[in-house]
Amino acid sequence: MIKAENLWKSFPMRLDRPGFKELVIKAPKFLKDNNNRFWALKGVSFSVSKGESLAVIGRNGAGKSTLLSLLLGVAQPTKGSVVVSGKRTPLLELGAGFHPDLTGIENIIINGVLLGHTEAEIRARMEAITAFSELGEFIRMPIRAYSSGMQMRLAFAIAIHTSPEVLLIDEIMAVGDESFQKKSGKALLDLIKGGVTTVYVSHSMEAVKKTCDRAIWLEQGEIRAEGEAGHVVEEYLKAQG
Amino acid sequence: MNRKTRHRLDLLKLLVKKEITLRYKRTYLGFLWALLNPLLTSLVLFIAFNVFMRFEIENFALFLLSALFPWTWFSTSVTMSTNTLTGNVSLIKKVIFPKHFLLLATITAQLVNFIFSLPVLIGLAYYYGSAPALNWLIGIPVLVVAQFAIIYGLALIISTANAYFRDLEYIVSVLVSLLFWMTPIVYPLDAVPAKYRALLALNPVTYLMQAWRDLFFNNMLNWHNVFISLITAAVVLFAGLLVFAKLERKLDEVL
Repeated sequence: MIKAENLWKSFPMRLDRPGFKELVIKAPKFLKDNNNRFWALKGVSFSVSKGESLAVIGRNGAGKSTLLSLLLGVAQPTKGSVVVSGKRTPLLELGAGFHPDLTGIENIIINGVLLGHTEAEIRARMEAITAFSELGEFIRMPIRAYSSGMQMRLAFAIAIHTSPEVLLIDEIMAVGDESFQKKSGKALLDLIKGGVTTVYVSHSMEAVKKTCDRAIWLEQGEIRAEGEAGHVVEEYLKAQG
Repeated sequence: MNRKTRHRLDLLKLLVKKEITLRYKRTYLGFLWALLNPLLTSLVLFIAFNVFMRFEIENFALFLLSALFPWTWFSTSVTMSTNTLTGNVSLIKKVIFPKHFLLLATITAQLVNFIFSLPVLIGLAYYYGSAPALNWLIGIPVLVVAQFAIIYGLALIISTANAYFRDLEYIVSVLVSLLFWMTPIVYPLDAVPAKYRALLALNPVTYLMQAWRDLFFNNMLNWHNVFISLITAAVVLFAGLLVFAKLERKLDEVL
């Protein structure tokens, strides 16, 4: 279950670092730089009930990724509150935290633990993860020997085997080559349709309609429309011309 | 042990392991470098201060290493932790986990290096005929705890501040080398002219390094130095936790 209430989020907006001379002369001004902030989210409220899937659509810079990072908890809202119950699994940047000099297996363990599992739990799933990744003997090699597609496959395999309760997806639906894409897309869809609460950021309106129950349309940090996914997508497409 | 504690221990263990093994993963000598590095540095300092500029100190090797090894733990941890947060941006912004574990892992990995260098000190102590006594068993853990807390407190402050003010990275490396010469490590405290000794007395690291030296070199527990080190540890740790708690919330905006 996710409940977001009146979320505001701002970032310091500094066009450039001041030079040393400026810093010395105008030090007091730079020290209280609160006046110049960029508001990425301006009073966004919504909720997602357990097992529901919500799409977030909108143009670049509308605040979609900021919203995801608030839901994930890696960023704090400037104002407002967000409550997420259940174990969160991010599918944001696949392979964040991978180290090129570690082998596939070592990366699986460290990534799984970073995603909230104990080492024993991850070792118990090792076989399922390696099988899903289809990496074969490569799994024992340092991942700097992998192609980027292989790394994505590994990261994806780990993420969907962490028994997620809340999935936060940014634009990732299918990875790898044709056949792996089918498999990963299906695995993800099974999770979403199988009752995992999902927030899904995407520019693919087809995927949104296929996957999600509801959608919100963000524009310049505010909700422009909200409702049944197909309906919101239609409105959004109409507005884009 | 409940699941949450188990998970946290696993996380810390893996981060430390990663820190230790990765550093030397692609070298031939591997983990041996962790020991070789301080030894070679010591050799340089030994030659400089025992051959070229002579201090009249008996057993100079043990004298030097008794403070230099703990100092190496201190200085490498502090220097490395400056970049620990700014160097792990993708992890911090894309994965939820306790960020301060990255710092704990950096410091613990250096502590492991330090512990692996202890046999050298013990061997030297035997060689010079002052066999390690029981007070080592009390002194080492107490001083390790004190030094760990001091480093951790500093690391919390420096690593977060560096995210806001990236010039700090360069300032820290200068300050650390300044601190090295301001602390009686390669020279004895009483070699410093009396009028400057008060200045060194203001440096809390002096007491910590003196305490290590008292233990390894003079084979005694100097409770005065130990006590001041423990007080310093409490103060620095508290300040670090305070700063971190305050600045951590906005870290995502500047990383």
